[in-house]
Amino acid sequence: MYANHYDGGASHFHGGGFMPSQATQTPDQAGSSKTRSSTTSTTVPLTIKQITEAFHLNDERADFLIDGVEPSLVKLLGRVLNKAERVTDVSFLLDDGTGSIEVTRWVSDSFDTDEMTKIENGMYVVLIGKLKAFQGKRHIGAHAVRPVQDFNQITLHFMECIHAHLDNSRKATAVPATTSAMNDMRAYQTLNVGTGASGDIREVVLSVFQEPASLARENGLHVNEIIRRLGLQEQKIREAIEYHVEVGNIYSTIDDDHYKSACNG
Amino acid sequence: MDTSSPTVFVNGELLKLYMGRRVRTVVQVIRNEGGAVVGQSTDNQQLTVKGPNQSVPVMHFMEVIGVADGPQSIRAEICTDFGSNFDMASYNGLCKLANGQFKNLFL
Repeated sequence: MYANHYDGGASHFHGGGFMPSQATQTPDQAGSSKTRSSTTSTTVPLTIKQITEAFHLNDERADFLIDGVEPSLVKLLGRVLNKAERVTDVSFLLDDGTGSIEVTRWVSDSFDTDEMTKIENGMYVVLIGKLKAFQGKRHIGAHAVRPVQDFNQITLHFMECIHAHLDNSRKATAVPATTSAMNDMRAYQTLNVGTGASGDIREVVLSVFQEPASLARENGLHVNEIIRRLGLQEQKIREAIEYHVEVGNIYSTIDDDHYKSACNG
Repeated sequence: MDTSSPTVFVNGELLKLYMGRRVRTVVQVIRNEGGAVVGQSTDNQQLTVKGPNQSVPVMHFMEVIGVADGPQSIRAEICTDFGSNFDMASYNGLCKLANGQFKNLFL
């Protein structure tokens, strides 16, 4: 067992060795769960209401889907209530104003117990943990629980929840042709895709359809408008449109030349 | 604390929309008057907070969780001293977002 490092919990994960260290860089990573590859852990800041409404994928594996993301870890902030200390664990109810959820913190060494003795009922805390479900009821297995010292953190946490929600729901509607981070850049690129890899064109065409102005138009956009806007060959644009119709991203409206995005922005 | 109903983030302006409901807000304490605290809301309105826990010093920020019982008054259940360093503008922005476009994340 490693010697205990009392530096606020970050190295707790290094010492335990049960989690890749990048998962502890939570404040930055929280809003940017852009790379959803299987090698990266995602930590998502959430309100308890989001958790209670999360779509539960699989009863046995306790996988949840929130805004199209399966978070490995969640970050919550709220008041502690009904703290109960037992031999192997400490449990309490966390209430963040949007709902409440049971939290359990397993204590296996003095670092853990010291961390939890500081927590009292009525106190605001931030916690990082794993979302679990047992017999239909959701609860959190906390890895770290820390008191809030600067109350601006409360405002910050809820802002992060909103930001992560926006980030993730936007990615959920984007065409997953490449990794999500690339999507953002391509949407803003002016069209110097002389090389015209078909993936690029498709994304750009889709992004035109998904602009709020395009979504607002009842009959969508005419193919010629897209051609004029992007300055690409008609053939390539029609190919991209065909692809999107096939996968269901856009649909034809009044005739075969008018298309509209199927996603509601 | 009654956890069966969610508490809405409000500022002075939003308070009147949630009469009779549990709300939460932050005010800056202006003065203590007997059993009530007069505070300035995040959008510069004067709110009256009635109830226990009036031990927050003047000029400190105080979070109030309670029931809205008047267009500018709250019957507090819990008051928390938020110290002297709190960003009212950000909190005000949060109130607007939490009641507007992102209401579904909070309520």
